[in-house]
Amino acid sequence: MNAQAGKSKASVIIIGGGIQGCSTAYQLAKRGIDVLVLEKDRVARHASGVNAGGVRLLGRDIAEVPLSNVSMQRWQTLDDELDADTGFRRRSLINIAADEADIQTLQKRQDVMHQQCYFHETMIDQQELRERLPHVADYCVGGVVSETDGYAIPYKSTFAFRQAAARLGANFVEGQQVQQLRRVGNSWLVETVAGRYEAEYLVNCAGAWADQVAVMMGDNCPMTYSAPMLMITTRMPHFATPVVGAVSRPLSFKQFENGTVLIGGGAKGFADRANNKTRLDYAKLAAGASNAVDFFPIMRTATVNRMWAGLEAYMPDNLPVISASVNSPNAFHAFGFSAHGFQLGPVVGEVMADLITRTHSDFDLSAFRVDRFERKVL
Amino acid sequence: MTDSYDIAVIGAGPAGMSAAITASNAGARVVVLDDKPQAGGQIYRHVTDSPLADTALLGTDYTKGADLVAEFNACRAEKITAANVWHVDESGEVLFSQAGASASLTAREVVVSVGAMERPFPIPGWHLPGVMTAGSAQVMLKSDGLVREDAVFVGSGPLLYLIVAQYLRLGVKVKALVDTTPKQNYLAASHLLPGAFGHLSVLTKGLGLLNEIRQAGVPVYKYAEDLNIRGALKAEALSFTSKGVQHELTAEHIFLHQGVIPNLNMTRAIGVEHSWNQQQLSWQPQTNDWGQTSVQHIAVAGDGRGIIGADAAQLSGQLVAWQQLARLGLISAADAANHSQPLQQKLKSYQGLRRFIDRLYQPMDALRKPFRPETMVCRCEEQTQGQLRAAFDQGARLPDELKGLTRCGMGPCQGRQCGHIVSELLAEWQGCEVEEVGYYRLRSPMRLINLTELARFQPHHQTARTEVKL
Ligand SMILES: Cc1cc2nc3c(=O)[nH]c(=O)nc-3n(C[C@H](O)[C@H](O)[C@H](O)COP(=O)(O)OP(=O)(O)OC[C@H]3O[C@@H](n4cnc5c(N)ncnc54)[C@H](O)[C@@H]3O)c2cc1C
Ligand SMILES: Cc1cc2nc3c(=O)[nH]c(=O)nc-3n(C[C@H](O)[C@H](O)[C@H](O)COP(=O)(O)OP(=O)(O)OC[C@H]3O[C@@H](n4cnc5c(N)ncnc54)[C@H](O)[C@@H]3O)c2cc1C
Repeated sequence: MNAQAGKSKASVIIIGGGIQGCSTAYQLAKRGIDVLVLEKDRVARHASGVNAGGVRLLGRDIAEVPLSNVSMQRWQTLDDELDADTGFRRRSLINIAADEADIQTLQKRQDVMHQQCYFHETMIDQQELRERLPHVADYCVGGVVSETDGYAIPYKSTFAFRQAAARLGANFVEGQQVQQLRRVGNSWLVETVAGRYEAEYLVNCAGAWADQVAVMMGDNCPMTYSAPMLMITTRMPHFATPVVGAVSRPLSFKQFENGTVLIGGGAKGFADRANNKTRLDYAKLAAGASNAVDFFPIMRTATVNRMWAGLEAYMPDNLPVISASVNSPNAFHAFGFSAHGFQLGPVVGEVMADLITRTHSDFDLSAFRVDRFERKVL
Repeated sequence: MTDSYDIAVIGAGPAGMSAAITASNAGARVVVLDDKPQAGGQIYRHVTDSPLADTALLGTDYTKGADLVAEFNACRAEKITAANVWHVDESGEVLFSQAGASASLTAREVVVSVGAMERPFPIPGWHLPGVMTAGSAQVMLKSDGLVREDAVFVGSGPLLYLIVAQYLRLGVKVKALVDTTPKQNYLAASHLLPGAFGHLSVLTKGLGLLNEIRQAGVPVYKYAEDLNIRGALKAEALSFTSKGVQHELTAEHIFLHQGVIPNLNMTRAIGVEHSWNQQQLSWQPQTNDWGQTSVQHIAVAGDGRGIIGADAAQLSGQLVAWQQLARLGLISAADAANHSQPLQQKLKSYQGLRRFIDRLYQPMDALRKPFRPETMVCRCEEQTQGQLRAAFDQGARLPDELKGLTRCGMGPCQGRQCGHIVSELLAEWQGCEVEEVGYYRLRSPMRLINLTELARFQPHHQTARTEVKL
């Protein structure tokens, strides 16, 4: 038995110490549930510690909007709630329209959103775009803004959930890769590389490895994984307050308080998840750099300090799995966040805790079922 | 010119130059990249085109390098100078920045011979303008003929004494040498002296330097402790105690040095395994006797593999070359073994000398692991010992965790300066071995790169490469 483990039994065992696992642990511990998180490496070692920190409601898939909306409310006061510094800053998020075609796209989206009574996305014209982003390239014609959006510091946010959970009694054991799950009577027996654990409930928050854990629970799903890349510059004079995206080009862009500028946009490198490794694709990073300079000419003289990639889970419809297991009792999934799960962290913990302690959630989770891709043949 | 080679050598110091000479003479297609306009490395910088009228004043250890540089310049290896290598892939792809443009090449084998850097010297005030490392002072001297009058030199180790002596020979006034070598080091090292006798000439040269400094009338303060650089916006004075007596020297220029450690950002970013060398109190890439690392096709030569000095670096470069020639099938394994054996033996003979020097000049704990909360650790992100301690108290145990909470090591130097300090501090605070704590996970680029340059970069497609004839 691992010396660090302390306890080998808990009501709930969470597999994976990313933001979803830590947030779930926090919500359960808050409800007085005895919870244990098993993490194969270190808490926040993967996507949750190295992502772009974008806290974005803008442009969400309609199915995700109710969840994302509540999560966004939580972010505004998260520091107080967790008694920690998550680095969250409400800065608004603007998606830039580069041409008339982009405006058309935005208009269509606006119609759909309004039909559903969602009014958090506001279209802005060229003049207002320029007022909010004085350094944007001249040719940009307008955009859409969501005022509550912003950014946080991913490692600090995930760590804050972990520490808050730990203060409420949650246990975290690192270096514990779950290798086998067995059901015996009403218990789950969990075997890791270094020990054995037992719990009544299991939660699969295993990120880019979650399909493997799902299989151990008897659920199959078409999850894939990839290595989205980012780069960050050295400090620049302050020139952009809002977080920036683009309607039809792969660009996400934010200047932090210290002046550094983070450039992303979904370009993917090479993922080697068996070895916790990623390799960067420099041709694609070059294209991302080119986009950034094109939208913000002031960036021509910027200096790239660091480029990296993280391992992230993707689903074919780019929507997460937030679901009870369909083939096993007392087992739950939260994975497949397809590069936008950081913002959802606060709400996902609540949903998972509801599923366990109340057996249901007030959200309509049908779009996130683990078996949504299964088709009956015959 | 092609962009595909048998061997790419990164760094044209004694190790890289000799690897390139050996491999290209044996028929390999070799390319050498160095970020400086001339080959030579740290020690032989500008030895063939010095701004100084009389290079002899810098000593024979310097001038003898002219032959090696000349031999290198004449060898068949292709030379790409003023080229900053910013990424080396385990597949053998080398990305570099030259004259404002990035380009790439590939090689079947890679030699990383990027040398050493000075060990950080984290004392209160070390971040103030006016404080530099002694090595940087030497670089200014060798490359631009620039010096600073009335500077105080602080620290320990042969390189420090050499630079002071070089200053004095050029007629530059030196205010004082504040020597931090602890008294007990002399005793501890004396047991190792017999092992170093094989290199008597090196030892006597070292002692000669100190005599030279004293004879020039420079005040030498021995066994200095409790160092403190005072100054509001820039360095104004250095205070310390020596033999129990408190001193304060006013100075605008303070040059620090406490030995050198391997330059690790490249081997770390490549993903090579590293281990903690307790004798040298530094990280180093793990290699076999031939310099081969844990990553296939990547070898390390010279001081980048553990500090051995210029002469031994030269031998280790040859050794790596013979090994790679055999791997490439250009010579037989038996031939490689024949060539290597005498080199291995010679290299071993340096070990006794190294052990003695490492022990004698081992920097004391207080100068590696800052104990005052106000002392700066990460100068790029301005993180003090106290701020790091607070993050540790919050639960950060590993360098990456500390980095995530404080940004320590995230600045432009990518932890080059604070990396060793952070590993040692975390180990001390936890009462465990440095090895257990590990080091930052590093990322590309290994050198800063301009965004427009990156935007224009097309890997695998060569941009025009200006070849500077050496
Ligand atoms: C480069 C990048 C940029 C991104 N940008 C944004 C953004 O701006 N905004 C946004 O909202 N989202 C963003 N995301 C997405 C976001 O980071 C993820 O959706 C989110 O972090 C997923 O959290 P997680 O807890 O599910 O996964 P992870 O953080 O990956 O955590 C899963 C954990 O499970 C552990 N684990 C796996 N298998 C096992 C096992 N068998 N046993 C024990 N432990 C196991 C892993 O080691 C890992 O630590 C980005 C992602 C990346 C990679
Ligand atoms: C500041 C300093 C001064 C020194 N002065 C002396 C001295 O006077 N006498 C003495 O005996 N020893 C001196 N040393 C020790 C000396 O460096 C070595 O013993 C010897 O030079 C090691 O040889 P090497 O080939 O391993 O590395 P080096 O001689 O250091 O050569 C490495 C070369 O690689 C280049 N390089 C590094 N990174 C990159 C990159 N990313 N892209 C391209 N090129 C790169 C460097 O510019 C350098 O030219 C000094 C060390 C330092 C750090």
